[in-house]
Amino acid sequence: MDDRKIQILIDSLLPMIKAALHYTITLALISFALGLVLAVVVALVRLWKIPVLSQIAGIYVWIIRGTPLLVQLFIIFYGLPNIGIEFDPFSAAIIAFSLNMGAYNSEVVRGAIQSISNGQWEAAYSLGMTRGQALWRIILPQAARVSVPPLSNSFISLVKDTSLAFTITVIDMFQVAKQIVSTTYESLLVYSEVAVLYLVICTVLNALQSVMEKRLARFSTR
Amino acid sequence: MIEIRNLHKAFGSLEVLKGIDLSLEKGKVLVIIGPSGSGKTTLLRCLNLLEMPDAGSLKLGETELSFDGGRKPAKPQVLKLRQSTGMVFQSYNLFPHKTALENVMEAQIVVQKKNKEEARKRSAALLAKVGLAGKEDSYPHQLSGGQQQRVGIARALATDPEVMLFDEPTSALDPELVGEVLKVMKELAAEGMTMVVVTHEMKFAAEAADTVVLMDGGKILEQGSPEQVLRNPSSDRASQFLNLLTEKEG
Repeated sequence: MDDRKIQILIDSLLPMIKAALHYTITLALISFALGLVLAVVVALVRLWKIPVLSQIAGIYVWIIRGTPLLVQLFIIFYGLPNIGIEFDPFSAAIIAFSLNMGAYNSEVVRGAIQSISNGQWEAAYSLGMTRGQALWRIILPQAARVSVPPLSNSFISLVKDTSLAFTITVIDMFQVAKQIVSTTYESLLVYSEVAVLYLVICTVLNALQSVMEKRLARFSTR
Repeated sequence: MIEIRNLHKAFGSLEVLKGIDLSLEKGKVLVIIGPSGSGKTTLLRCLNLLEMPDAGSLKLGETELSFDGGRKPAKPQVLKLRQSTGMVFQSYNLFPHKTALENVMEAQIVVQKKNKEEARKRSAALLAKVGLAGKEDSYPHQLSGGQQQRVGIARALATDPEVMLFDEPTSALDPELVGEVLKVMKELAAEGMTMVVVTHEMKFAAEAADTVVLMDGGKILEQGSPEQVLRNPSSDRASQFLNLLTEKEG
């Protein structure tokens, strides 16, 4: 490899890492957190068959899971302004990714809650707990353990999917890579570099997943 | 303490309780026996409303509930009734993510709103009472079945219930572990705890019960002192069932 290429690699590293910290990772973290809250709410609404809300939740999950994320991004950022609803690119991305995470993870959360034996609810009720107390203190902590692996999976997918945000003009890590390619014409080199950066981020996340699973496994021999 | 009048419960078209009348005084031990499918567990679960009766009435402590005409008790009444009962389950149903001590502390903190220190003291004392001093920090999966069930008893006692309900508390246990659980239950009975026990342990019924009820097909077939019901049952169906049990034990 010649000096020029090495210089391009070094010069592009810092702007890419900056964009990763500012946009890629921030987008993923915020969207995942909001999406998780949404997922728990949707899962409960559907599990408890709350009238009207559970139908709305069902339709929401159906639409989000049945349409491409890219199309959802375009509708929110380019489509909604036609009816007077405008977002800046970053907010639009947060909304789209959160809605997406909420729909997928609601199924994960629902399955995890259902996997906890009915006896746990009954034990909590027999002690005089309300449904909310039983859920919060007894069921969700156990469901959380069950859902760590599938939720980690979703999060890792999300980190990579944030690269779609460039299509609605967010200057994320991938957009920075594109800009560098457009001035240096070193597409193989720079795109490979950005791929390695995604790989590093996801590897770190995988390691975090193992740590969490170990922490939560202390009561798991059942 | 407990007054049950004409209690009915059906699951779909299956009638499980066909009009149960039963009463129990404070400090007494009632043992319910009967073949499987006789409705004994359902009756017990109606006492703390894990099953909602379809008709009849139930008085437990200060709570009086009527279910006639499809009436359902309001939430606060349900919670109050459950707080005045403690239940011990066949499969223990301990909270696997909490230590033995935390299992016993849980309701005191969440339901009774006690402070942690107070709850911890009371829980340690209860674990000691059921013979589990030193096991405070063990998780359920680190304990034997007999130990888990004793934690279950301590957990149910933690909120100072007026009545303790036992749903086949020894049925899931290895035979050599049954004794330690029955011993704790007998001690409770001797202390004057009001208890309703669904069990197949005839020896326990004979030794600890004030009243024995034999159920069959959703009805009470025999009711009386252990001597009466276990030794001199008045119906053929009852003697048949008791013979089967003695053969199994013999």
